Amino acid sequence: MAVLHSAPKFASNEGVIDAISETISVWLIEAHESHGEVIFRVQRDAIARVLQILRDDHAYQQMMEIAGVDYPERAERFEVVYMLQSLTKNHRVMVKCSASEDTPVPTVTTLWPNAGWLEREVFDMFGVTFAGNPDLRRILTDYGFEGHPFRKDFPMTGYTELRYSEEEKRVVYEPVVLAQEMRTFDFLSPWEGADYVLPGDEKSRGAPAVAEPKVTEKQGDTGAGKAADKAAAEKVSPPGPEQKDTGKPAPGAPDPTSKEGGR
Amino acid sequence: MSMNLEESPTTEGEVITNYTINFGPQHPAAHGVLRMVMELDGEVIERIDPHVGLLHRGTEKLIEQKTYLQALPYFDRLDYCSPLAMEHTWVLAIEKQLNLEVPLRAQYLRVLFAELTRICNHMLNMGAHILDVGAFTPNLWIMDLREDCLNFFERASGARMHSAWFRPGGVHQDVPEKLLVDIGDWLDNRFFQLFEDAMSLVMDNRIFKQRNVDIAVVSREDAIAWGFSGPMIRAAGLPWDLRKSQPYDVYDRMEFDIPVGTNSDCYDRFMVRVKEVYESAKIIRQCLRDMPSGPIASSDTKVVPPKRGEMKQSMEALIHHFKLYTEGFHVPAGEVYVATESPKGEFGVYLVSDGTNKPYRCKIRPTAFSHLQAMDFMSKGHMLPDATAILGAIDVVFGECDR
Repeated sequence: MAVLHSAPKFASNEGVIDAISETISVWLIEAHESHGEVIFRVQRDAIARVLQILRDDHAYQQMMEIAGVDYPERAERFEVVYMLQSLTKNHRVMVKCSASEDTPVPTVTTLWPNAGWLEREVFDMFGVTFAGNPDLRRILTDYGFEGHPFRKDFPMTGYTELRYSEEEKRVVYEPVVLAQEMRTFDFLSPWEGADYVLPGDEKSRGAPAVAEPKVTEKQGDTGAGKAADKAAAEKVSPPGPEQKDTGKPAPGAPDPTSKEGGR
Repeated sequence: MSMNLEESPTTEGEVITNYTINFGPQHPAAHGVLRMVMELDGEVIERIDPHVGLLHRGTEKLIEQKTYLQALPYFDRLDYCSPLAMEHTWVLAIEKQLNLEVPLRAQYLRVLFAELTRICNHMLNMGAHILDVGAFTPNLWIMDLREDCLNFFERASGARMHSAWFRPGGVHQDVPEKLLVDIGDWLDNRFFQLFEDAMSLVMDNRIFKQRNVDIAVVSREDAIAWGFSGPMIRAAGLPWDLRKSQPYDVYDRMEFDIPVGTNSDCYDRFMVRVKEVYESAKIIRQCLRDMPSGPIASSDTKVVPPKRGEMKQSMEALIHHFKLYTEGFHVPAGEVYVATESPKGEFGVYLVSDGTNKPYRCKIRPTAFSHLQAMDFMSKGHMLPDATAILGAIDVVFGECDR
């Protein structure tokens, strides 16, 4: 596909997958290129080893970012994505592994000191643990916070809110009370892939089964017939009083305009 | 309270315990809400443990609940000192996934305003840095220049800071011709006079140098290992600038130099920013000179909303407008990591899309995270007041750091 966008252009991806796959083939699960990004999926236990090979043998000197992603429907629900950058080759690759709540990922703080905070953030937000990280504290959330807010099953509003209490002269934590229901709009159009049924639409998917189907066998059951025709012909209300032309103007009516009809 | 009764090397025989102080969260030199737990030996810093996250708003989670266009204004509120630079990364990430072509005039406009944002950001940072190490006047002078930049943003977008002006596919609206003339005029007749005056007060100032030279020296190897970027890595002598090495928009058409430092101390970081301002001005002048006329947004009607005039005439345009502002556009499934050179360094967006109208996951790479993390080893052995100089030279903004 021709590149039309004007996003940052780094060195060509050509041959990168083959060259790197060769050296990490033992641990490699899958490698592909899409949207101009090279992505390697490797075994979790070998992540530190793989990243070390990429750093030392393939000149990816900088580790710019570690991102966590939550896919609740997967067996190992989290993905940890490492963004590497090569200053000498002017190239970027992504390396990822999967993890669950109770499978720690080997730390890479031994390779890059800045991995410390990045791993802390993934731990804080998703609850992925990193084996060997010497300082795996929470980093972005409040002191004493419970839960991992960026998991997909953590509600947007959270569970607690805090305010300064004038009576107690300190900050107090309380359960979240919403003055108005949380508004989430789903604009996915019903004829383009929405996976829910709009109210009323369930009728179109075949009539629900009933024990005794209701039918009309005689004409009388429907209410139609001579009796109904007669009733329909009858006047429903008496007619109004007849209008008579007396030739005199009605009391209080304005004077007629001149015959020329005004201007 | 537990006391660490270790014998201190700085006093002769007398036992003085190390003590721990809190720097921030409410400290004028902390540039926002940063709490640093400092362990001091007398006035010498032994250890710093920065506590971040006091401004954490969960932007990344909020973005998951919004359409791609609705998520854009959140980026203004990340690094609120350089809002358009943040937007730039976001729109480029979306465009990369859509593989959307952006008209040339829009690319020029974006580069022009990204560089104006860089100047705007550096004015604030350098002013604050100078203020932190004791000089008052330059800050007042260059804050005036920042004000000029904000006025230009207002004339382009209607908002001084949170512009929301870059859009996927281009920019929101074209600028008035007079604005471009005025920006050129400002660079020629006003900006450098004031800026050079202000810098002449500090660049060779003895006190300023005493406070900055040889403070927080970081070797090249450390700068690479700690994931430094922007002026922090350039001050270490590495000519690494994403605008040059991984150009986006029309940066590959621009002629500019990458200033680098030699000593990798706070003074070099400051001077790199001073020189960058000149380079930004160069780029702005080239944009003004070469900017073609033409459309300012992509012609892809499935992404870019129609003009109001078209909406009055065309049923199709009206439907597109309605669909784009309710449902939004769909982005093909996949993941990209797009990083641009924000005034503070590499600002990146890792965007995972599942093919719907909302991002599945948006991870924002703040520049401040790796720089602030290095605060501990950079400050070790320096005096307490040096911490403010180091922090000023990092150029940290907590809207972006804490997200």
